[in-house]
Amino acid sequence: MHIPDAFIPIWQGAIYWIIALVFIAISLKWAKNEMSEEKLPMVAVLAAGIFALQSFNLPVSMGTSGHLVGGALAAIVLGSPLAAIFIMTLVLIVQGVLFGDGGITVMGANIINMGVIGGFVGFYSFRGLMVAIRNMPVAAFTAAWLACLIPALACAVEMYFAGTFPLMEGLVAMGIYHAIIGFIEGFVTVAAIYLIISVRPDLIDTGIKTPKGIAAP
Amino acid sequence: MIEELFQIEKDAYKDSIIHRLDARVKIVLCFAAIIALVAVPYSTMIYTVGVLFFIFVAALWLCTNLPVKNFVQRIIAIVPLWGIIILFQIFLKNKYYTEYHVIYSLPLGISVYAESVEFAFILFVKFIVCISFIILLSSTTKMQDLLDGGRRMGLPAEFALALGMMIRYLFVFGYMYRKIKQTLETRCFDPFDRRLSYRYRLRQLGYTIGTMFIRSYEQGERVFVSMLCRGYGKHMHLFLKKKDLTGTEWGFLATSLAFIIATPMCVWITQFSLF
Repeated sequence: MHIPDAFIPIWQGAIYWIIALVFIAISLKWAKNEMSEEKLPMVAVLAAGIFALQSFNLPVSMGTSGHLVGGALAAIVLGSPLAAIFIMTLVLIVQGVLFGDGGITVMGANIINMGVIGGFVGFYSFRGLMVAIRNMPVAAFTAAWLACLIPALACAVEMYFAGTFPLMEGLVAMGIYHAIIGFIEGFVTVAAIYLIISVRPDLIDTGIKTPKGIAAP
Repeated sequence: MIEELFQIEKDAYKDSIIHRLDARVKIVLCFAAIIALVAVPYSTMIYTVGVLFFIFVAALWLCTNLPVKNFVQRIIAIVPLWGIIILFQIFLKNKYYTEYHVIYSLPLGISVYAESVEFAFILFVKFIVCISFIILLSSTTKMQDLLDGGRRMGLPAEFALALGMMIRYLFVFGYMYRKIKQTLETRCFDPFDRRLSYRYRLRQLGYTIGTMFIRSYEQGERVFVSMLCRGYGKHMHLFLKKKDLTGTEWGFLATSLAFIIATPMCVWITQFSLF
């Protein structure tokens, strides 16, 4: 999902950068006003943690593997989609500038996909489902699945606008692959949230009660 | 990716003319080259521009005293995924060509087009040269220097502080990742082992990731307490010493930028005059 340089023309990359900068500015404003001084170091360290989490390869099928994106997990645990934008921007800067995973001119598009769309979709679908069905595993699973699938579809649309991949083929390929990866992302997100609620319920502010009889591995 | 982290920083700590350059010079140079390459239209003129830029980046790499093997290894680590998408281009039509000529037909109505092969090659050249500049930048600049360079160029303070802390803890989590991986291996747990139920494998990975998430959060709490002990407050600003570029750095930057801007323009004018 990390689009590299050259796959999107420069003028389109500039448009995505402008849109991303608006959201980055909002997340920065949120960080200044809403984030307590206690949260800033936590968010920074958490960003490093999410970077490491993305290194765990998870089996998909037919020998392929995928990794966690973590946007939904960050948004749910930190209780704001803006936290996800902030964290994912940090992660994408490090990945793009140090590792070449995701381009420089297209970083705006990557931030929009994984930070903005992933964060908002993950957070609000989780909140909405929690209100509607009051079932944490289902809500977290669906939120993480959507937060994986929808950014991938957005990525396919961006590539179509760029003229580097046809729309239908892109939507089908990215959709199927990320629907499967999203299943794993969902399952792992549920397990991770379950564990966090069991061990450190104070970290999550989602109105979820601590489950009983959950043992850490 | 996290496994590369240690090698990249090891390379960045070596010494050479390129390593000693101010991070701002390398950031501007690298970003300018990438922007210039991406700005070149999807046309065959990228071959000439790409080759000239690659010679430029290769010459700079030779000045770093780093083994070519490291460069190749990093290219190999990055290319596969998007390499497949580039390869797929040979079967696809896109908006950059009006006519397509089939050069090879496969079953199920799949065809390889001459124009699509050309487009795939154009993408490949752009992609590889852009990645080469990123490899040069990260292999010759310490992460902290990159951050300081970014701050001197106007990176917002909130981002700089968060990014600085993130960079420091990347290595902590790098070691943590290794340890957890080794622990799982010691217990003969392999997420790709089909003898184990899929549900069980995912649950174990979920718990592992959850544990790491909690550890990172708790590490964040400890960091906060340590920072408080050292006088951290909401309105704290990190001190950064003012540093001017030397005459040599200015000269190198100006020459490089002139090359980066002039090369695509000259190639474009040459091609234009040929028609």
